[in-house]
Amino acid sequence: MEKFRTVLDFCLSHQKALSYSAVSLLTAGSERLFSVVVFQCPCNSWNTLYGSVFLLVPALILFLLGYLLNVRTWRLFTGCCAPGRCCCCIHRRRCWRYFRVLWLVTVSAAVAPLTWIAVALLGANFYECAASGSSLLQRYLCQGRGTQCHEQVARIPCGETLPQGAQTFVSLRAQSQVLGWILVASIMALVLTVTCINRCRSPVSFLQLRFWKIYLEKEREVFERKAKEHATKLAERNLKCFFESTEPELFQTPTNKDWQQISSLYAFNTKGQYYSMIHKYISANRGTSIRSTEEDVFSPALGFVDGTDVNETGTL
Amino acid sequence: MGISQTVFKFLSSQKKAIGYSLMGLLTVGSEHLFSLSAFKCPCSNKNYTYGLVYLFVPALVLLFVGFALNGSTWQLFTGCCVNPKKLFPKGKSCHFFHAFCQITLKAFVAPVMWLSVVLLNGTFYECAMSGSKNLKYLEMLCHNKSNKCLEELPKVACGQTSLSSWETEEILLTLQAESQVVGWCVIVSAAFLSLLITCYGHCQSNTSHLQKRFWKIYTEKEKEQFEKYFEVYATKLSERNLKSFFENKKLEPFPMPSFRAWEEASALDSFNINQQIFSTLHKLVEDSMKENDSNEAQDTMVNLGEGETV
Repeated sequence: MEKFRTVLDFCLSHQKALSYSAVSLLTAGSERLFSVVVFQCPCNSWNTLYGSVFLLVPALILFLLGYLLNVRTWRLFTGCCAPGRCCCCIHRRRCWRYFRVLWLVTVSAAVAPLTWIAVALLGANFYECAASGSSLLQRYLCQGRGTQCHEQVARIPCGETLPQGAQTFVSLRAQSQVLGWILVASIMALVLTVTCINRCRSPVSFLQLRFWKIYLEKEREVFERKAKEHATKLAERNLKCFFESTEPELFQTPTNKDWQQISSLYAFNTKGQYYSMIHKYISANRGTSIRSTEEDVFSPALGFVDGTDVNETGTL
Repeated sequence: MGISQTVFKFLSSQKKAIGYSLMGLLTVGSEHLFSLSAFKCPCSNKNYTYGLVYLFVPALVLLFVGFALNGSTWQLFTGCCVNPKKLFPKGKSCHFFHAFCQITLKAFVAPVMWLSVVLLNGTFYECAMSGSKNLKYLEMLCHNKSNKCLEELPKVACGQTSLSSWETEEILLTLQAESQVVGWCVIVSAAFLSLLITCYGHCQSNTSHLQKRFWKIYTEKEKEQFEKYFEVYATKLSERNLKSFFENKKLEPFPMPSFRAWEEASALDSFNINQQIFSTLHKLVEDSMKENDSNEAQDTMVNLGEGETV
């Protein structure tokens, strides 16, 4: 029992890394499934299209799904083109913030597609099929031979061996796996470098960052709980009035302006230690705007603030 | 918190993802079932019709089921024959189309899943296209093959052809490749459209992100409370009626909402950003509050008037 509890605590404290790992594992698993069950190289003129579609289209789909299912996307876009509001970049600083958050969302959405491509290249089936249909390779391998050689090259993924005397045999599977490893290594190197740079430029210390992440998690939980309690009380009041035809009592609820202020993107300011927009809003005079000022700092290390949000995806 | 509670909490927070995954698995399962048990390509000139029926008719059935299982469909259409004006209330004529669009988009999820799964599998498409009437397409399939290819093409899906095995295999692989490429195109277009529509919906919205979240929670809680009140009131009313019936007693008065109140409460949900109204019921209650306030103000004025006169 104790061991389970330890494992659970570990899982809860490394949620982000574990969720990205889970996404990667799921993607890798689906790629293997598709590769074995669904994929069958036609071994004719369709090779290039077929192989490329299997390699790139699922990655595109995963990328679009990554945007769709990311909470930050909707935090960014909700109400940006509402009637009465200008959908253009008047304030350069605010525009720059939007692009920064959009960049973070893009990076987050790119995890699954890159995993798909890397695993597909390591598996080598798709690349082999696509490359064997490419006219460049066919011309290279079939120098001085007829069109029959082209067809033989296209049948390599189905087990065909080239006749003796053909150009040096190029192992397509080996090429694919080398490309796959290069992709994995470069992504890892890039991620490590960027994380290092972001952490170096972080305006807050290590322990405060740790506390901040935990605070946001707790605030999210309490928001859900309080919102449910508030909604239940309001619903009960309305239903009681409907069924019993009694006079409804006045019900205090946050105004639209309150909601808009706490929904805006986070801006860190060294003058005040505010851990979220809700914290900032209720600490300032309620009713005053807490949107960005000149002294605000937008550090990439604090990108997690706008990401740790209530459990809501924007899907249909 | 216990482990089972934590796991349950995690699972209930991923309800949507689990729901869609289950739907996907169900689609794959039923496609396999149909493919193995019911589907038998006729291998004649009827291939095209048979294959297309298997491709599109189950999708249509799923669309109808999607409409039927959505509660909002019935909220929209109940009583519309008796009172057609209900569909297009004054000042809110676009509301019907907006609601109908949302219901249709939700209903399209299952058919698109079916189409993706059957196209990725390829069996139905192979059968359909081997019986195609398009001569150019058939010639492309029979390119570099024996003379009787065109004639034997419809029988390729059953393996009962007199063509050589490598020709049959190549035709089948080409058809399967086409089918899977079309399948991936369907999925990517659906994903792209889904992203565009959701983006449009969010961008045009007047409400902020967290207020939208609160609105969803309120709608859920109101639904729960409605069910609870229905059960309580239904129990009380039936007890009163049956008590009076069996014990032959006089009926006690039982206050219930009027017919008009039920009609008004059943109207399409409206969210009014300016007045912070979260549902139709909320609007009714706030309106009645305003009426009471104005009545009270009138009474007060009358009293003052009387007082002053006195």
